[in-house]
Amino acid sequence: MVVNTKEVTDKDFNIKRLAEELRNLSFKDHICIGCGICESSCPVSAITVGDMGAIIRNNSPQPKLVIDEHECVLCGICSGVCPADALTFSIANQPISEIPAYPKYNADVEIDDDKCIYCQKCEIACPREAITIARSLPDRSKLVTGEIEIAEDTCVYCGICEELCPADAIDVDRTPEAETINVDKDKCVYCLVCKKSCPVTAIKASCRICSYGDYDINLEDAVTKGSSFIDDELCIKCGWCEGVCPTEAVKVKKPFEGLLKIHQDKCTACGTCVDICPCDVLSFPKPAKSGDIVDNVAKEEQYCIKCGACARACPVEAIEVQISNVDYIPTKSKSWSEKFEALKN
Amino acid sequence: MPKHIVSGLKYLATIELKKKGLTQQKIADELEIDRSTVSHYLNGRNISFHCINVAETMTQLSSKDFLILTHSLFKNAEITQKIISICQSKVFKAEVLDTCIGCGLCVDLCLMQAINLEYLKANINSIKCCGCLLCQEGCPTNSIKVLEV
Repeated sequence: MVVNTKEVTDKDFNIKRLAEELRNLSFKDHICIGCGICESSCPVSAITVGDMGAIIRNNSPQPKLVIDEHECVLCGICSGVCPADALTFSIANQPISEIPAYPKYNADVEIDDDKCIYCQKCEIACPREAITIARSLPDRSKLVTGEIEIAEDTCVYCGICEELCPADAIDVDRTPEAETINVDKDKCVYCLVCKKSCPVTAIKASCRICSYGDYDINLEDAVTKGSSFIDDELCIKCGWCEGVCPTEAVKVKKPFEGLLKIHQDKCTACGTCVDICPCDVLSFPKPAKSGDIVDNVAKEEQYCIKCGACARACPVEAIEVQISNVDYIPTKSKSWSEKFEALKN
Repeated sequence: MPKHIVSGLKYLATIELKKKGLTQQKIADELEIDRSTVSHYLNGRNISFHCINVAETMTQLSSKDFLILTHSLFKNAEITQKIISICQSKVFKAEVLDTCIGCGLCVDLCLMQAINLEYLKANINSIKCCGCLLCQEGCPTNSIKVLEV
Protein backbone atom coordinates (compact mmCIF):
# COMPACT_ATOMS: atom_id res chain seq x y z
CA MET A 1 0.00 0.00 0.00
CA VAL A 2 1.21 3.45 -0.88
CA VAL A 3 -0.06 6.05 1.57
CA ASN A 4 0.70 9.68 2.33
CA THR A 5 1.38 10.94 5.82
CA LYS A 6 0.80 14.46 7.06
CA GLU A 7 2.58 16.24 9.89
CA VAL A 8 1.04 19.48 11.06
CA THR A 9 2.92 22.10 13.10
CA ASP A 10 0.77 25.14 13.94
CA LYS A 11 -0.33 26.40 10.52
CA ASP A 12 2.50 24.67 8.63
CA PHE A 13 2.51 21.12 7.40
CA ASN A 14 4.47 18.42 5.59
CA ILE A 15 2.89 15.78 3.36
CA LYS A 16 5.14 12.79 2.71
CA ARG A 17 5.19 9.61 0.67
CA LEU A 18 8.00 7.19 1.29
CA ALA A 19 8.35 4.43 -1.28
CA GLU A 20 10.99 4.42 -4.01
CA GLU A 21 12.14 7.86 -2.83
CA LEU A 22 10.95 10.21 -0.11
CA ARG A 23 8.65 12.82 -1.58
CA ASN A 24 7.87 15.73 0.70
CA LEU A 25 5.61 18.75 0.20
CA SER A 26 6.12 21.36 2.84
CA PHE A 27 3.91 24.42 3.45
CA LYS A 28 4.94 27.55 5.32
CA ASP A 29 1.94 29.66 6.23
CA HIS A 30 3.81 32.88 7.01
CA ILE A 31 5.22 32.95 3.48
CA CYS A 32 1.92 32.15 1.71
CA ILE A 33 0.32 35.18 0.02
CA GLY A 34 -3.03 33.49 -0.62
CA CYS A 35 -2.97 34.06 -4.39
CA GLY A 36 -4.71 30.75 -5.12
CA ILE A 37 -2.39 29.81 -8.01
CA CYS A 38 -1.69 26.42 -6.37
CA GLU A 39 -5.40 25.77 -5.93
CA SER A 40 -6.18 26.31 -9.61
CA SER A 41 -3.09 24.42 -10.81
CA CYS A 42 -3.51 21.26 -8.70
CA PRO A 43 -4.28 18.38 -11.09
CA VAL A 44 -6.24 16.46 -8.43
CA SER A 45 -8.05 19.39 -6.78
CA ALA A 46 -6.50 18.57 -3.41
CA ILE A 47 -5.85 22.21 -2.41
CA THR A 48 -8.28 24.64 -0.83
CA VAL A 49 -7.16 28.19 -0.18
CA GLY A 50 -9.05 29.80 2.67
CA ASP A 51 -10.98 33.05 2.76
CA MET A 52 -7.94 35.30 2.76
CA GLY A 53 -9.83 38.46 3.71
CA ALA A 54 -11.13 36.91 6.91
CA ILE A 55 -7.85 35.13 7.70
CA ILE A 56 -5.66 38.24 7.36
CA ARG A 57 -8.04 40.71 8.99
CA ASN A 58 -8.92 38.55 11.99
CA ASN A 59 -5.40 37.21 12.47
CA SER A 60 -7.11 33.84 12.23
CA PRO A 61 -5.62 30.67 13.74
CA GLN A 62 -6.63 28.88 10.51
CA PRO A 63 -3.95 28.17 7.93
CA LYS A 64 -4.18 30.00 4.61
CA LEU A 65 -4.42 26.75 2.71
CA VAL A 66 -5.38 23.17 3.33
CA ILE A 67 -4.24 20.17 1.31
CA ASP A 68 -6.14 16.89 1.53
CA GLU A 69 -3.30 14.42 1.98
CA HIS A 70 -5.48 11.56 0.73
CA GLU A 71 -6.09 13.34 -2.59
CA CYS A 72 -2.58 14.75 -3.02
CA VAL A 73 -0.39 12.65 -5.34
CA LEU A 74 2.79 14.58 -4.48
CA CYS A 75 3.49 15.70 -8.04
CA GLY A 76 4.96 19.03 -6.90
CA ILE A 77 3.16 21.24 -9.42
CA CYS A 78 1.83 23.52 -6.64
CA SER A 79 5.37 24.09 -5.46
CA GLY A 80 6.57 24.78 -9.00
CA VAL A 81 3.93 27.43 -9.69
CA CYS A 82 3.90 29.06 -6.21
CA PRO A 83 5.21 32.60 -6.79
CA ALA A 84 6.08 32.99 -3.10
CA ASP A 85 7.88 29.70 -2.40
CA ALA A 86 5.42 28.96 0.41
CA LEU A 87 5.16 25.40 -0.89
CA THR A 88 8.42 23.52 -1.23
CA PHE A 89 8.48 20.12 -2.85
CA SER A 90 11.51 17.92 -2.46
CA ILE A 91 12.51 14.46 -3.64
CA ALA A 92 14.99 12.61 -1.44
CA ASN A 93 15.46 15.89 0.45
CA GLN A 94 16.45 17.81 -2.68
CA PRO A 95 14.12 20.71 -3.54
CA ILE A 96 12.81 20.55 -7.10
CA SER A 97 14.18 24.05 -7.75
CA GLU A 98 17.58 22.31 -7.76
CA ILE A 99 16.47 19.39 -9.97
CA PRO A 100 16.92 20.26 -13.70
CA ALA A 101 13.98 18.10 -14.86
CA TYR A 102 11.54 20.48 -13.14
CA PRO A 103 10.60 23.79 -14.76
CA LYS A 104 10.88 26.92 -12.64
CA TYR A 105 10.27 30.66 -12.78
CA ASN A 106 12.89 33.01 -14.07
CA ALA A 107 12.84 35.32 -11.09
CA ASP A 108 15.70 36.95 -9.32
CA VAL A 109 16.76 39.83 -7.12
CA GLU A 110 20.27 41.08 -6.63
CA ILE A 111 21.93 43.96 -4.81
CA ASP A 112 25.22 45.06 -6.33
CA ASP A 113 27.52 45.68 -3.37
CA ASP A 114 29.78 47.86 -5.52
CA LYS A 115 26.95 50.30 -6.15
CA CYS A 116 25.15 50.03 -2.78
CA ILE A 117 25.69 53.00 -0.45
CA TYR A 118 23.92 51.29 2.46
CA CYS A 119 21.24 53.97 2.74
CA GLN A 120 18.77 51.28 3.89
CA LYS A 121 15.95 52.72 1.77
CA CYS A 122 15.24 49.24 0.36
CA GLU A 123 15.16 47.71 3.83
CA ILE A 124 12.55 50.25 4.91
CA ALA A 125 10.49 49.95 1.70
CA CYS A 126 10.44 46.12 1.52
CA PRO A 127 6.85 45.04 2.27
CA ARG A 128 8.01 41.58 3.39
CA GLU A 129 10.92 42.72 5.59
CA ALA A 130 13.14 40.47 3.52
CA ILE A 131 16.13 42.85 3.29
CA THR A 132 18.73 43.53 5.93
CA ILE A 133 21.38 46.17 5.30
CA ALA A 134 24.12 46.03 7.90
CA ARG A 135 26.43 49.04 7.93
CA SER A 136 29.32 50.45 9.92
CA LEU A 137 29.64 54.23 9.90
CA PRO A 138 32.92 56.10 9.57
CA ASP A 139 34.65 57.19 12.74
CA ARG A 140 33.28 60.65 13.46
CA SER A 141 36.48 61.82 15.13
CA LYS A 142 38.32 61.27 11.85
CA LEU A 143 35.91 63.49 9.91
CA VAL A 144 36.30 66.59 12.10
CA THR A 145 39.57 67.32 13.84
CA GLY A 146 40.71 70.15 15.97
CA GLU A 147 41.99 71.09 19.36
CA ILE A 148 40.22 71.91 22.59
CA GLU A 149 41.61 72.73 25.97
CA ILE A 150 39.98 73.97 29.17
CA ALA A 151 41.92 76.09 31.65
CA GLU A 152 40.72 74.55 34.90
CA ASP A 153 42.15 77.42 36.99
CA THR A 154 39.89 79.86 35.15
CA CYS A 155 36.81 77.59 34.77
CA VAL A 156 34.03 78.24 37.25
CA TYR A 157 32.13 75.01 36.43
CA CYS A 158 28.97 76.90 35.54
CA GLY A 159 27.88 74.08 33.18
CA ILE A 160 26.79 76.43 30.37
CA CYS A 161 29.09 74.68 27.88
CA GLU A 162 27.71 71.27 28.89
CA GLU A 163 24.12 72.42 28.35
CA LEU A 164 24.88 74.00 25.00
CA CYS A 165 27.16 71.30 23.54
CA PRO A 166 25.26 69.77 20.56
CA ALA A 167 27.43 66.66 20.61
CA ASP A 168 27.11 65.81 24.32
CA ALA A 169 30.89 65.90 24.48
CA ILE A 170 31.29 67.91 27.72
CA ASP A 171 30.71 66.51 31.17
CA VAL A 172 30.75 68.94 34.13
CA ASP A 173 30.54 67.65 37.70
CA ARG A 174 29.37 70.58 39.81
CA THR A 175 29.68 69.00 43.28
CA PRO A 176 31.03 71.80 45.56
CA GLU A 177 34.75 71.47 46.28
CA ALA A 178 34.95 68.42 43.97
CA GLU A 179 34.13 70.02 40.63
CA THR A 180 35.53 68.55 37.42
CA ILE A 181 35.15 69.20 33.70
CA ASN A 182 35.91 66.71 30.95
CA VAL A 183 35.73 66.85 27.15
CA ASP A 184 35.26 63.64 25.19
CA LYS A 185 37.39 64.31 22.11
CA ASP A 186 35.77 61.42 20.19
CA LYS A 187 32.43 63.17 20.42
CA CYS A 188 33.58 66.81 20.03
CA VAL A 189 32.93 68.25 16.56
CA TYR A 190 34.87 71.47 17.20
CA CYS A 191 31.87 73.71 16.57
CA LEU A 192 33.27 76.16 19.10
CA VAL A 193 29.89 76.87 20.72
CA CYS A 194 31.46 76.20 24.15
CA LYS A 195 34.31 78.60 23.50
CA LYS A 196 31.98 81.37 22.35
CA SER A 197 29.56 80.93 25.25
CA CYS A 198 32.07 80.56 28.11
CA PRO A 199 31.52 83.58 30.43
CA VAL A 200 35.09 83.40 31.79
CA THR A 201 36.93 82.58 28.55
CA ALA A 202 38.31 79.34 30.02
CA ILE A 203 38.02 77.35 26.77
CA LYS A 204 40.54 77.43 23.98
CA ALA A 205 39.42 75.56 20.88
CA SER A 206 40.03 75.58 17.14
CA CYS A 207 38.74 73.61 14.22
CA ARG A 208 41.21 72.23 11.68
CA ILE A 209 38.57 71.90 8.96
CA CYS A 210 38.00 75.69 9.15
CA SER A 211 41.70 76.22 8.49
CA TYR A 212 42.49 73.44 6.04
CA GLY A 213 39.06 72.70 4.53
CA ASP A 214 38.11 69.32 3.13
CA TYR A 215 41.71 68.57 2.19
CA ASP A 216 42.32 67.60 5.76
CA ILE A 217 40.04 64.54 5.50
CA ASN A 218 41.31 61.20 4.31
CA LEU A 219 38.56 60.15 1.87
CA GLU A 220 38.83 56.51 2.91
CA ASP A 221 37.99 57.46 6.48
CA ALA A 222 34.69 58.95 5.34
CA VAL A 223 33.25 55.80 3.72
CA THR A 224 30.33 53.88 5.21
CA LYS A 225 30.94 50.16 4.86
CA GLY A 226 28.35 47.42 4.99
CA SER A 227 26.70 44.37 3.53
CA SER A 228 23.29 43.48 2.17
CA PHE A 229 21.24 40.37 2.77
CA ILE A 230 18.04 39.27 1.05
CA ASP A 231 15.97 36.51 2.60
CA ASP A 232 15.11 34.50 -0.53
CA GLU A 233 12.31 32.72 1.26
CA LEU A 234 10.46 35.96 2.11
CA CYS A 235 11.36 37.98 -1.00
CA ILE A 236 8.48 38.14 -3.46
CA LYS A 237 10.26 40.09 -6.23
CA CYS A 238 7.86 43.06 -6.08
CA GLY A 239 10.56 45.55 -7.02
CA TRP A 240 10.15 48.12 -4.22
CA CYS A 241 13.86 47.83 -3.45
CA GLU A 242 14.75 48.55 -7.08
CA GLY A 243 12.25 51.41 -7.22
CA VAL A 244 13.55 53.27 -4.18
CA CYS A 245 17.27 52.62 -4.68
CA PRO A 246 19.04 55.96 -5.35
CA THR A 247 22.09 54.29 -6.93
CA GLU A 248 20.48 51.64 -9.16
CA ALA A 249 22.20 48.95 -7.16
CA VAL A 250 19.19 46.61 -7.14
CA LYS A 251 17.93 44.53 -10.04
CA VAL A 252 14.68 42.60 -9.74
CA LYS A 253 13.43 40.08 -12.29
CA LYS A 254 9.71 39.33 -11.95
CA PRO A 255 8.20 36.10 -13.28
CA PHE A 256 4.86 37.56 -14.44
CA GLU A 257 3.96 40.41 -16.78
CA GLY A 258 0.43 41.67 -17.03
CA LEU A 259 -2.16 44.18 -15.95
CA LEU A 260 -3.89 45.18 -12.74
CA LYS A 261 -7.27 46.77 -13.34
CA ILE A 262 -9.42 48.33 -10.64
CA HIS A 263 -13.05 49.02 -11.48
CA GLN A 264 -13.62 52.08 -9.32
CA ASP A 265 -17.37 51.98 -10.07
CA LYS A 266 -17.74 48.51 -8.53
CA CYS A 267 -15.31 49.09 -5.62
CA THR A 268 -16.92 49.62 -2.22
CA ALA A 269 -13.64 50.69 -0.57
CA CYS A 270 -13.86 47.82 1.92
CA GLY A 271 -10.05 47.63 1.96
CA THR A 272 -9.71 43.85 1.75
CA CYS A 273 -7.33 44.15 -1.20
CA VAL A 274 -5.28 46.80 0.61
CA ASP A 275 -4.83 44.44 3.57
CA ILE A 276 -4.09 41.39 1.43
CA CYS A 277 -1.66 42.74 -1.18
CA PRO A 278 1.75 41.25 -0.32
CA CYS A 279 3.52 44.01 -2.25
CA ASP A 280 1.99 47.17 -0.74
CA VAL A 281 0.70 48.10 -4.17
CA LEU A 282 -2.81 49.12 -3.15
CA SER A 283 -3.77 51.98 -0.84
CA PHE A 284 -6.55 54.42 -0.05
CA PRO A 285 -5.64 57.67 -1.76
CA LYS A 286 -5.67 60.88 0.26
CA PRO A 287 -7.28 63.93 -1.37
CA ALA A 288 -4.83 66.74 -2.10
CA LYS A 289 -7.18 69.22 -0.48
CA SER A 290 -10.41 68.90 1.43
CA GLY A 291 -13.39 68.27 -0.84
CA ASP A 292 -11.41 66.70 -3.70
CA ILE A 293 -12.90 63.48 -5.00
CA VAL A 294 -10.38 60.65 -5.26
CA ASP A 295 -10.48 57.04 -6.45
CA ASN A 296 -11.65 54.41 -3.98
CA VAL A 297 -8.41 52.49 -4.23
CA ALA A 298 -5.10 53.64 -5.70
CA LYS A 299 -2.37 51.42 -7.13
CA GLU A 300 1.38 51.58 -7.62
CA GLU A 301 1.34 49.09 -10.46
CA GLN A 302 5.11 49.06 -10.99
CA TYR A 303 5.40 47.04 -7.77
CA CYS A 304 2.55 44.59 -8.58
CA ILE A 305 3.59 40.97 -9.17
CA LYS A 306 0.24 40.04 -10.79
CA CYS A 307 -0.31 37.25 -8.29
CA GLY A 308 -4.04 37.89 -8.25
CA ALA A 309 -4.49 37.62 -4.47
CA CYS A 310 -6.44 40.91 -4.43
CA ALA A 311 -8.77 39.88 -7.25
CA ARG A 312 -9.42 36.54 -5.58
CA ALA A 313 -10.29 38.18 -2.25
CA CYS A 314 -12.33 41.12 -3.57
CA PRO A 315 -15.95 40.49 -2.51
CA VAL A 316 -17.44 42.54 -5.37
CA GLU A 317 -15.17 41.53 -8.26
CA ALA A 318 -13.87 45.05 -8.67
CA ILE A 319 -10.32 43.92 -9.44
CA GLU A 320 -9.02 42.13 -12.52
CA VAL A 321 -5.50 40.79 -12.76
CA GLN A 322 -4.29 39.65 -16.15
CA ILE A 323 -1.10 37.72 -16.70
CA SER A 324 0.11 38.17 -20.27
CA ASN A 325 3.51 36.52 -19.96
CA VAL A 326 5.05 33.95 -17.65
CA ASP A 327 8.83 33.81 -17.63
CA TYR A 328 9.89 30.28 -16.80
CA ILE A 329 12.50 27.76 -17.82
CA PRO A 330 10.60 24.94 -19.56
CA THR A 331 11.73 21.34 -19.56
CA LYS A 332 10.68 18.31 -21.61
CA SER A 333 7.52 17.78 -19.55
CA LYS A 334 4.53 18.95 -21.60
CA SER A 335 2.06 18.69 -18.73
CA TRP A 336 4.20 20.92 -16.50
CA SER A 337 4.72 23.48 -19.28
CA GLU A 338 0.95 23.51 -19.81
CA LYS A 339 0.44 24.33 -16.13
CA PHE A 340 2.81 27.32 -16.41
CA GLU A 341 1.19 28.43 -19.67
CA ALA A 342 -2.26 28.12 -18.11
CA LEU A 343 -1.41 30.92 -15.67
CA LYS A 344 -1.88 33.37 -18.55
CA ASN A 345 -5.40 34.68 -18.85
CA MET B 1 -0.61 -24.32 3.29
CA PRO B 2 0.82 -21.04 1.84
CA LYS B 3 4.24 -22.73 1.95
CA HIS B 4 2.94 -25.49 -0.30
CA ILE B 5 1.64 -23.01 -2.84
CA VAL B 6 5.03 -21.28 -2.79
CA SER B 7 6.61 -24.66 -3.57
CA GLY B 8 4.09 -25.18 -6.37
CA LEU B 9 5.01 -21.82 -7.91
CA LYS B 10 8.71 -22.57 -7.62
CA TYR B 11 8.06 -25.94 -9.25
CA LEU B 12 6.36 -24.25 -12.21
CA ALA B 13 9.20 -21.74 -12.47
CA THR B 14 11.75 -24.56 -12.37
CA ILE B 15 10.05 -26.31 -15.29
CA GLU B 16 9.95 -23.05 -17.30
CA LEU B 17 13.61 -22.33 -16.66
CA LYS B 18 14.58 -25.85 -17.62
CA LYS B 19 12.71 -25.38 -20.93
CA LYS B 20 14.91 -22.32 -21.50
CA GLY B 21 17.93 -24.55 -21.10
CA LEU B 22 19.26 -23.40 -17.71
CA THR B 23 21.39 -25.81 -15.71
CA GLN B 24 20.08 -27.14 -12.39
CA GLN B 25 22.59 -25.00 -10.48
CA LYS B 26 21.55 -21.82 -12.36
CA ILE B 27 17.88 -22.58 -11.66
CA ALA B 28 18.67 -23.13 -7.99
CA ASP B 29 20.53 -19.80 -7.77
CA GLU B 30 17.77 -17.96 -9.62
CA LEU B 31 14.96 -19.27 -7.38
CA GLU B 32 17.01 -19.30 -4.18
CA ILE B 33 16.51 -23.01 -3.53
CA ASP B 34 18.86 -26.00 -3.14
CA ARG B 35 20.16 -27.67 -6.26
CA SER B 36 18.85 -31.00 -4.91
CA THR B 37 15.35 -29.50 -4.67
CA VAL B 38 15.60 -28.52 -8.33
CA SER B 39 16.59 -32.06 -9.15
CA HIS B 40 13.62 -33.42 -7.17
CA TYR B 41 11.20 -31.03 -8.92
CA LEU B 42 12.50 -32.01 -12.34
CA ASN B 43 12.15 -35.72 -11.49
CA GLY B 44 8.60 -35.22 -10.25
CA ARG B 45 9.34 -35.98 -6.62
CA ASN B 46 8.71 -34.32 -3.26
CA ILE B 47 5.74 -32.19 -4.28
CA SER B 48 2.05 -33.06 -4.40
CA PHE B 49 0.05 -32.59 -7.58
CA HIS B 50 -2.46 -30.62 -5.56
CA CYS B 51 0.12 -27.88 -4.90
CA ILE B 52 0.98 -27.76 -8.58
CA ASN B 53 -2.71 -27.55 -9.51
CA VAL B 54 -3.27 -24.58 -7.17
CA ALA B 55 -0.16 -22.86 -8.51
CA GLU B 56 -1.28 -23.48 -12.11
CA THR B 57 -4.71 -22.07 -11.31
CA MET B 58 -3.03 -18.95 -9.98
CA THR B 59 -1.16 -18.40 -13.23
CA GLN B 60 -4.50 -18.45 -15.06
CA LEU B 61 -5.99 -15.66 -12.92
CA SER B 62 -5.94 -12.08 -14.11
CA SER B 63 -2.45 -10.57 -14.05
CA LYS B 64 -3.38 -8.36 -11.10
CA ASP B 65 -4.71 -11.26 -8.98
CA PHE B 66 -1.75 -13.49 -9.84
CA LEU B 67 0.67 -10.72 -8.91
CA ILE B 68 -0.97 -9.69 -5.63
CA LEU B 69 -1.47 -13.30 -4.49
CA THR B 70 2.13 -14.16 -5.32
CA HIS B 71 3.39 -11.07 -3.53
CA SER B 72 1.34 -11.87 -0.44
CA LEU B 73 2.72 -15.42 -0.41
CA PHE B 74 6.39 -14.54 -0.85
CA LYS B 75 6.30 -11.16 0.98
CA ASN B 76 9.36 -10.22 -1.05
CA ALA B 77 9.36 -8.00 -4.13
CA GLU B 78 12.43 -9.46 -5.80
CA ILE B 79 11.37 -13.13 -5.85
CA THR B 80 7.78 -12.13 -6.70
CA GLN B 81 9.10 -10.30 -9.78
CA LYS B 82 11.07 -13.41 -10.82
CA ILE B 83 8.17 -15.83 -10.38
CA ILE B 84 5.76 -13.57 -12.28
CA SER B 85 8.10 -12.92 -15.17
CA ILE B 86 9.00 -16.61 -15.49
CA CYS B 87 5.48 -18.05 -15.15
CA GLN B 88 3.53 -15.48 -17.12
CA SER B 89 3.61 -15.78 -20.88
CA LYS B 90 1.46 -12.74 -21.81
CA VAL B 91 3.20 -9.68 -23.28
CA PHE B 92 2.07 -6.14 -22.56
CA LYS B 93 2.79 -2.79 -24.10
CA ALA B 94 2.26 0.36 -22.08
CA GLU B 95 1.72 3.83 -23.45
CA VAL B 96 2.13 6.97 -21.34
CA LEU B 97 0.39 10.14 -22.54
CA ASP B 98 1.85 13.64 -22.39
CA THR B 99 -0.69 14.46 -19.70
CA CYS B 100 1.56 12.59 -17.23
CA ILE B 101 2.55 15.02 -14.46
CA GLY B 102 5.43 12.96 -13.13
CA CYS B 103 3.93 12.39 -9.69
CA GLY B 104 5.65 9.02 -9.46
CA LEU B 105 2.63 7.31 -7.93
CA CYS B 106 2.85 4.54 -10.57
CA VAL B 107 6.55 4.07 -9.76
CA ASP B 108 5.61 3.49 -6.13
CA LEU B 109 2.60 1.30 -6.97
CA CYS B 110 4.36 -1.03 -9.41
CA LEU B 111 5.26 -4.27 -7.69
CA MET B 112 7.31 -5.31 -10.71
CA GLN B 113 9.53 -2.20 -10.49
CA ALA B 114 8.90 -1.73 -14.19
CA ILE B 115 8.44 2.07 -14.05
CA ASN B 116 10.81 4.98 -13.69
CA LEU B 117 10.46 8.70 -14.34
CA GLU B 118 12.27 10.32 -17.22
CA TYR B 119 11.95 14.10 -17.45
CA LEU B 120 8.78 14.06 -15.35
CA LYS B 121 7.16 11.37 -17.47
CA ALA B 122 6.62 7.75 -16.53
CA ASN B 123 8.60 5.29 -18.57
CA ILE B 124 7.23 1.73 -18.45
CA ASN B 125 9.51 -1.19 -19.24
CA SER B 126 7.36 -3.52 -21.35
CA ILE B 127 9.59 -6.52 -20.61
CA LYS B 128 9.09 -6.17 -16.85
CA CYS B 129 5.42 -5.11 -17.08
CA CYS B 130 3.06 -7.93 -16.07
CA GLY B 131 -0.13 -6.14 -17.08
CA CYS B 132 -1.58 -5.90 -13.58
CA LEU B 133 -2.93 -2.41 -14.35
CA LEU B 134 -2.19 -1.15 -10.82
CA CYS B 135 -0.48 1.89 -12.37
CA GLN B 136 -3.31 2.56 -14.82
CA GLU B 137 -5.90 2.36 -12.03
CA GLY B 138 -3.87 4.59 -9.68
CA CYS B 139 -2.84 7.26 -12.20
CA PRO B 140 -4.41 10.58 -11.14
CA THR B 141 -4.46 11.93 -14.69
CA ASN B 142 -5.45 8.73 -16.59
CA SER B 143 -2.25 8.98 -18.57
CA ILE B 144 -1.39 5.26 -18.68
CA LYS B 145 -2.75 2.78 -21.17
CA VAL B 146 -1.57 -0.84 -20.80
CA LEU B 147 -2.54 -3.23 -23.61
CA GLU B 148 -1.89 -6.92 -24.17
CA VAL B 149 -0.06 -7.63 -27.41
